[in-house]
Amino acid sequence: MMLFADPLFGLPSWTDAIIRVVLVVLAMTIVVMYLTYGERKVVARFQQRLGPTETGPGGLIQAFADAFKLVLKEDIRPTNADRWVFELAPYATFVPVFMVLLALPFAHDWGVRDLGLGLFYVFAILGLNIVGIMMAGLGSGNKYALLGGIRAAAQMISYEIPLVISLLCVAMITSADTGNEIGTLNLNVIAALQEDRPYVLLQPLAFLIFFTAMLSELHRAPFDIPVAESEIVGGYFVEYSGIRWSMFQLSEYASMWGFSVFGSVVFLGGWAFPFGADAHWSVQLATTMVKSLSFIVLIFWVRTTVPRLRIDQLMSFCWKVLLPMSIVQMLMNGVILAYDWPQELLTLTSGAGAALLVAIIIKRAVRRPSKDLVGTYKTLGAPAQ
Amino acid sequence: MATEVLWWIFAAAIVVLSAGVVFSRSIIHSAIFLIGSLAGVGAMYIFLQMEFLALVQFLIYGGAVTVLILLALMLTRPDAPGHRQSLNGTQQPFALLVGAGLMVILFAVITGTTWPGSDIESLTEVPLTLVSQRLFEDFGAPFVIASALLLVALVGAIILARQEEGE
Repeated sequence: MMLFADPLFGLPSWTDAIIRVVLVVLAMTIVVMYLTYGERKVVARFQQRLGPTETGPGGLIQAFADAFKLVLKEDIRPTNADRWVFELAPYATFVPVFMVLLALPFAHDWGVRDLGLGLFYVFAILGLNIVGIMMAGLGSGNKYALLGGIRAAAQMISYEIPLVISLLCVAMITSADTGNEIGTLNLNVIAALQEDRPYVLLQPLAFLIFFTAMLSELHRAPFDIPVAESEIVGGYFVEYSGIRWSMFQLSEYASMWGFSVFGSVVFLGGWAFPFGADAHWSVQLATTMVKSLSFIVLIFWVRTTVPRLRIDQLMSFCWKVLLPMSIVQMLMNGVILAYDWPQELLTLTSGAGAALLVAIIIKRAVRRPSKDLVGTYKTLGAPAQ
Repeated sequence: MATEVLWWIFAAAIVVLSAGVVFSRSIIHSAIFLIGSLAGVGAMYIFLQMEFLALVQFLIYGGAVTVLILLALMLTRPDAPGHRQSLNGTQQPFALLVGAGLMVILFAVITGTTWPGSDIESLTEVPLTLVSQRLFEDFGAPFVIASALLLVALVGAIILARQEEGE
């Protein structure tokens, strides 16, 4: 595990590491606070409301008021709950998300650790996120929480596969750029390789698959069935209150930010595009922040636009559409790279694939159901009321 | 020095967590201890400078295998959470026999083998490119055959588990 170029202020490496971790934690806290505020404002605008306006100018300190209220709330533990599993679950959810933030490059040589296997590290550690969610579902002693946990686990395991394959596609095409025929998994290098053009131009299909699978991994609408309020009250964290509930919210928004920075590094060029590796660090940091924030606004936009999927639609979309499309993308990349064909061909094939994916999504969205609702219930074996 | 201290801390943690898997009276707790124990083994790979293996350990054992165990427990377990089960069943003597036998065999094998590179002090670093070269170029055919075998097993399991009406 490597250090970034040189320690800040020439400090010993462990002091430097601690300072970097503290900086990232502070940045994360502020970003998460304003994400909750931002989400309420953006969603309110989409729904022709105003959102928070009263607390501070334009409601700007609403997030702090909310955090204060949550900390003061009583911390309730149901008698039926499995004590240690219930109490440790929020931490088990948060730790992987926090560990992912340690590997992200925010600007040239700016991050906590510059890992040679950064890309692989991110999705290996994010996989551990499920454990905390399942602990919450199992430990609460509540049927709704259990259902939410099962849904979350099934969904996250399924969507991890297209997500990983779409990232693999990017790792493949880095081998054409590094100059020695060997690709890279280092996020800092991947960002630097996109100085001239972001990889989203070469791999639009992989980007679409990544974005869809990311929405699902984050439990955002239209894939928010593990936390669906109208069906299972709130999912795996239904029994939590006060500070523990806010830990779940914190990890949800922190992972949303982490995923957005990660996606902007892998697909949108991170800090390197369009100002280059020689730009001032503040410009690079601002580039990363703007890209990740536009990612997040896109997530909010999708949330307010698309209705929630049913669980069978969700699963069939993953296994019958996303997975084959991602494998096709990987095969196309393999053929093009093996024969050293020009990179424009990557854009062309992947663009055609992306158009096909969008067409499939639209076709599935507008098709009329072959059965009415009662018929669907009969197929699923449930008693029709 | 610092690495050595950390190594001992992780070794102790793995032993405690593994004991938790065996002696915990609730099967959910066992599963959660198992995650911790396997993650500790992953951390051991980092001390051996095999980050790739460590991440594979986290991904496969932490993120997939134990999650499947937890999922199976969620779908099948009828008891209330925190329900305590008795630790010993009728198979106790056989379990003791198998456990002790396995330990003896493992010890015999470990002490009887001359490990390559055990006489040098520093660790040999294996670059990831070498691993991938071995896997995809030198041993490409076994890799493909193993993946095909897994795929067949997967499809077979789905066909066995899936029962549609009228079949």
